[in-house]
Parts: sequence; C-alpha cells; structure tokens
Amino acid sequence: MNVIELNHITKSFGKNVAVNDLSLDVPEGSIYGFIGPNGSGKTTTIRMIMNIFYPDSGIIKVFNGEQAGNLLDRVGYLPEERGLYKKMKVKELISFYGELKHVSNPSREADYWLEKFDLSNWAKKKVETLSKGMSQKVQFIITIINKPEIIILDEPFSGLDPVNAEIIKEVILDLRAKGSTIVFSTHDMSVAEKMCDFISMIYKGKKVLDGTLESIQKQFGQDTIRIQMEGGVSMLNGIAGIEKINDFGQIQELRMIPGTDSQQILSDIISKTRVTKFEIASPSLNDIFIRIARPEKNGGYE
Amino acid sequence: MIFLSELPDLKKMEVMNKSFVIAKREYRAAVRTKAFLISLLLLPVFMGGGLIVLTLFKDKIDLSDKKVVVLDYSGLMGEHIIKTAENWNKNNIYDDKKEQISPLYFIEIVHPDTVNPLQQKLDLSNRIRNKEIHAFLQIGVDVVHPHFGEEQSRIFYFAENSAVDNVREWLSNVINNKIREMRVVEFGVDPKKINDLFYWVGTESMGLLKVDSKTGKVIDAKEVNETQAILIPYFLIFLMFMMLMMSAVPLLSSVMEEKSERVAEVLLGSVTPWQFMMGKIIGGLGVSLTTSTIYVLGAVITLRKMGMSDVIPYDVLPWFFAYMLLNIIMVGSIMAALGASCNDSKDAQAIQFPAMLPIILPLFFMMPVIMDPLGKLATGLSLFPLWTPMIMLLRQSTSVTIPIWQPIVGLIGVVLFTFFCVWAGARIFRSAIIFQGKRPKIGTLIRYIIKG
Repeated sequence: MNVIELNHITKSFGKNVAVNDLSLDVPEGSIYGFIGPNGSGKTTTIRMIMNIFYPDSGIIKVFNGEQAGNLLDRVGYLPEERGLYKKMKVKELISFYGELKHVSNPSREADYWLEKFDLSNWAKKKVETLSKGMSQKVQFIITIINKPEIIILDEPFSGLDPVNAEIIKEVILDLRAKGSTIVFSTHDMSVAEKMCDFISMIYKGKKVLDGTLESIQKQFGQDTIRIQMEGGVSMLNGIAGIEKINDFGQIQELRMIPGTDSQQILSDIISKTRVTKFEIASPSLNDIFIRIARPEKNGGYE
Repeated sequence: MIFLSELPDLKKMEVMNKSFVIAKREYRAAVRTKAFLISLLLLPVFMGGGLIVLTLFKDKIDLSDKKVVVLDYSGLMGEHIIKTAENWNKNNIYDDKKEQISPLYFIEIVHPDTVNPLQQKLDLSNRIRNKEIHAFLQIGVDVVHPHFGEEQSRIFYFAENSAVDNVREWLSNVINNKIREMRVVEFGVDPKKINDLFYWVGTESMGLLKVDSKTGKVIDAKEVNETQAILIPYFLIFLMFMMLMMSAVPLLSSVMEEKSERVAEVLLGSVTPWQFMMGKIIGGLGVSLTTSTIYVLGAVITLRKMGMSDVIPYDVLPWFFAYMLLNIIMVGSIMAALGASCNDSKDAQAIQFPAMLPIILPLFFMMPVIMDPLGKLATGLSLFPLWTPMIMLLRQSTSVTIPIWQPIVGLIGVVLFTFFCVWAGARIFRSAIIFQGKRPKIGTLIRYIIKG
C-alpha cells in the first residue's frame, strides 16, 4: 500500500516550472529518498505533499486521499530551512509542539527525547543558547515527538557532525522499524545509497530516476571500473576505452566507453604499472547523479 | 454514545484547539516580558500625562512681585490702576490658610515722552531686560472713545513673554471695567447700579431628563461637565487605539520575524496557515483584553472612589469591548497578512506606516465628532466599517443620544468586514508566508485574495 501518491503534479512560479508532470508512489514502511541538484524541485514537491503549496495540476494523495488539515498529526515535517523560537526554553518549546500535535503527555515525551538526544541538561535553557548541532537535534525532536506515521525530512543531515548524524540516522531507522514511513531529500548520495529502499531523482522539475538502488544501477549496467595502482591517475594517460576518470586520490573510478572490453583496459594498465585492486562494478549513485545533473561536462577529470 | 452529526463540530474544535495552543504561547510570550509590565505601567502615564502635569502645575503660578510701568497718554487710568492694585494687594494675595496664591502688583506711573517716545520705550524695555520691572503699559489718549485702528485708541502691553502673561489679562480687565464705568456714567446711569449692570449670568450645561425604568419616576437632568463630554470619550478611544498598537499592529513584525527566521515553515508542519494566523490574532486579543480590563476596572474603581460614578458610561462599556475585539481581529488579520508578505525588517518598516494610517486617521476626527456627534460627518465616518469601532464608540460615549439603528448597523458592518478581513488575510497569509524574495506588490496581494 502506498501512503503517498503523486499523480502528474505540475507547479509553476511565474514562468518557472518548478515541478513538471511528476508522478511517484511512496510505499508504506519504506525509506524513500529524494535526490537531485539544488533547485531541481525537491523542496517544492515536499511542500506540496505537506499542503503548504497547492499544485497547479495533478493529484496528491496522502493516506489514500484524506484532507491535509487532518493529516498534520500523523505527519512529521522537518523543513530544509528551519527556525525555532529563540526566547523559549528548550523543554517548553518541545512541549509546545507536542501539544500542537496532540501528544497525550507532551512534557513526559519532551523529557524522553531530551534524554535520548543527550540534551536533558539543556531542558531549562533558552533555545538561543544552543549550538547549531543541538538546535538541529531539537528541530528533529519536534518533528517526531508524536511518532508520526509519515516523516518527511528535507535535508535532515545537512550541517550535522558525524556523531549527531549517526544519532539521527539511528532514530530514523528505529522509527521505520516501528512502522513509520520515511521520506527525505538529500545531497549526500552515500546516505541515500545506504539508507533508502527507494530513490527518486528529480532534475529540472522532472523525475529522471525512480526505483530501488539496484534497479537504478541496472539501468546503467556494469560500465564502471574501480582501480588502485602504483603511480595513481597519471598511469591512465593514453589508455583507450575510458570515457571518464573520477580520481579519489588513492582510488580511481573509470567509466568505460560502451562496448569496451574491461580486460583490455586492465591489460593496458598492467603493461604500465602494478595494479593492487581492480573491480568491475555498477556506477555509484553519486556517479549516476553527476551523469544526469552535469551531462555537458562528461569527459575529463572530476 | 457519539452521534455522527457531532463529528464535524468535534473536528472544528480540534482545529480551533491548535489555534488556542498558539494563542496561549503568544499570550505567555507577550505578558511574561518586562516590556509588557513596563508598558502596562507607562500607558496610563502616557495617556494621562498631559492631564496630570496640568493638574499638578495648575496652581504653581509665578508669585514674585510684579512691577509695571504705565505710560498713560489718556491721563484717566493711572490713578485707577494704582488704587485697584493696592486693593488687590490687600485682599487677593493670601488664601484662608495664609498661603500666598497671587503675586503683588506695583504700579509706577511715568509721564509719556511725547518728543522722543521710542527712546522712552527702549529705556523701559531695557529696564525689563535688567529685571528692574516686569512690564510696561501704553494707554492711548482716545482709549475711552476709540477710533477703530488708530494707535491712540489702543492699549499696548510690553513684556518679555507678553502673549502668555496673567498680568496683561489683569490689567486689561482693570482698564476695561474703568472705561465701561466712565461710559455708563456719561450716559447718566447711577454709579451704584453699575455692578448690577455688568453682572454676567452663565448658562449651565445640562443633560436630558429620563424615566427610571424600574420605578417609572422622572429623573432630573444632571449637569454635564467637561470630563463627561470630552475626557471619557477621549479615554475610551485612546485606550482602543493603544490596544490596537499593542496587539494588532505588532503582528506585522512578529509574523515577518517568524517568516524570516524560518519558524513559520516549522509551524506549518503542525498547523494549517489559517490556524497559525488565528492563533496569533487570538493571542494578541488575549493580551489586549487583559490590559484593557485592568485599565477600565482601574478607571471605574478610581472614579467611584472619587465620588464621580455618575460619569462612568456603563452602557457604553460592553460596546467598547465588542468593538475592540472586532477591531483587533480586523486589523490583526490585515497586519498578519502584510507581515507574511514581508521578508525582512526593511520590508516591514516600509509597509508599517501606510498600514497604520487607516488606524490613526480616526484620531484626527475626534474633536469634530465630539463637537457634533449627530452631524453628517460623524454619522458618515462612524458607518465606515474600518472606522466604526472608534468613531461610533466616540459618538456613543458622548452625552448625546445616538439613534439606536446606527450602532446596530455599524456593528453588523464591522462583523461582516471583519469576516472579509480574516478571509482575505488568511488567503494572503497562506500564499505569502513561505515565499522569499521580492515583496509582493498590491496587484499580487489582490491575486492571492482572488486565487487563494
């Protein structure tokens, strides 16, 4: 069963078409990732799901078409640009949002989450005294305080240090395990690769990818070589059959020209240097993202 | 057992409940601040500041001796002024408690210099500058039988602050009484009857008689004083204006701040834009109801203790609260909508004054309306919904009886206009609260209202 369904959604701002004939389904209990470059229409799509923007055309169904006004208690929403009432005390603020979401005992829930996020000592302090990381944790708490059935997170990991990102990731997975459906947008392809059951890429307002990571990678075939060798990227000069080189320093990712024999490339490299690692793989999500978002820059080094 | 028909109401209650949660936060955030307490204390000082200063200083007049030189070209007034001043100094300087209440007047008669009058007046001016004398007076030769406009038919008073000087007024009365007396004697009237001739009988201002609804007896009219005629309407209108300034107008910057600090979108994850806007308005309403109740109760208790309970317009007070409530909702929706269309404090500053102008304008019409509450201007203005709360209340709080249909029609107009403002404001609020970038023009705001 799908908890969110978008059918041929279009939204324009003036002459700019932000979302163009977008359709997608979010299955219940899944982690669904929106990827796409800045300005591609991810946030607009999320705002339309939240009923903050109305689509110009198309139909959005959440929980099979209930009225959005009644849904807010079942949906948690963390916007990309988020702010808090700075003069309120931390626990008071969390309780306020709990009360708005009809949590039965907002104060007790606030204590629970503050403890979980190691913020109990800050409960009686004003929000303005919190660090950026702490504020982000508080923002996350107010999103999930009512344990919503759908959690929509717009760039939830941006600006977080690895420790805090890990805590939030664990809570997201825990909520999913308890039945929540998670929808989030991200620029971090490795997060999307590791966490998402389904990934949808929006580019210039249109959906260009949709499915599981495996199915998306399948569309691009096994055209990628990951190689580690003595001498590094300079050893690849003059090797035929390579469309693009992605140099990570210790390791290089090569995209082969369609029809090229990977063994021939290996043989050509071995004739020049010693190869310590050689792997034929599907392209990473990051590579796929770049291929779609920067098609004109194909070729050469990244 | 819950009947199905009850469900929509329960839903509505749930929807309103969120507005009340926001209202509670807004109310607490406002009343818990020191600024609220300070403004609560300062507002009466601000409102009644002028009156308090006047009351405190009205008896604090300059009691130093006043020496005045008289250049009497007529030769008829000098002696009279000296005698009157002597009488004044004997009888009018001290009150019953032997405390000085008036200055002593000393008159010096100087022969006018007809050869070089300017030099003489310059010398006297210099004596004033040197603080030797307070003023000098020039009485024309034809002052008893004047010819219009001629200098010799006039009286001139020279002093450093001659326009605002009680001595000038005193001398004017003394001389004019003498002139009238001389003219009357010339007509052959007995000098003993002069007091009778000039006795002035004032016309006292009275209200209207009415019938006591309980006993059926006729209640005699009461004297209407200035407090009742001007101060009560002034107090109520100013209080309503201050409540608007305290709770409705700040919504513009408050909503703008929540938008620019990105609090608005976080809130929209929990509430609808309509609940958000109404929550803020209801919060402001709570603040102004608290404040105005404190002031009105304070004023009622004070007036009762002062034995002035007959000037309290009990019949107008329910209208005051009803109009204030509607006015705050009406103006609050407009301000919240405009706040939602601003991106930063610069935008808000640019829009604040034009937005406040319609609220300030009724204040300019206060005196004309108080002077003629039944006139066409007052009636017309009081039926314009945006101004009805202030102008109609102003008319009702004077001692004049307004035709009963007018407040009712006015109220219906305000209720309808308030509904329109909330509806239109919510549509603008909803459309603009998330948008960043250039502030929308009036055309765009109208499009938001039409399209939603």
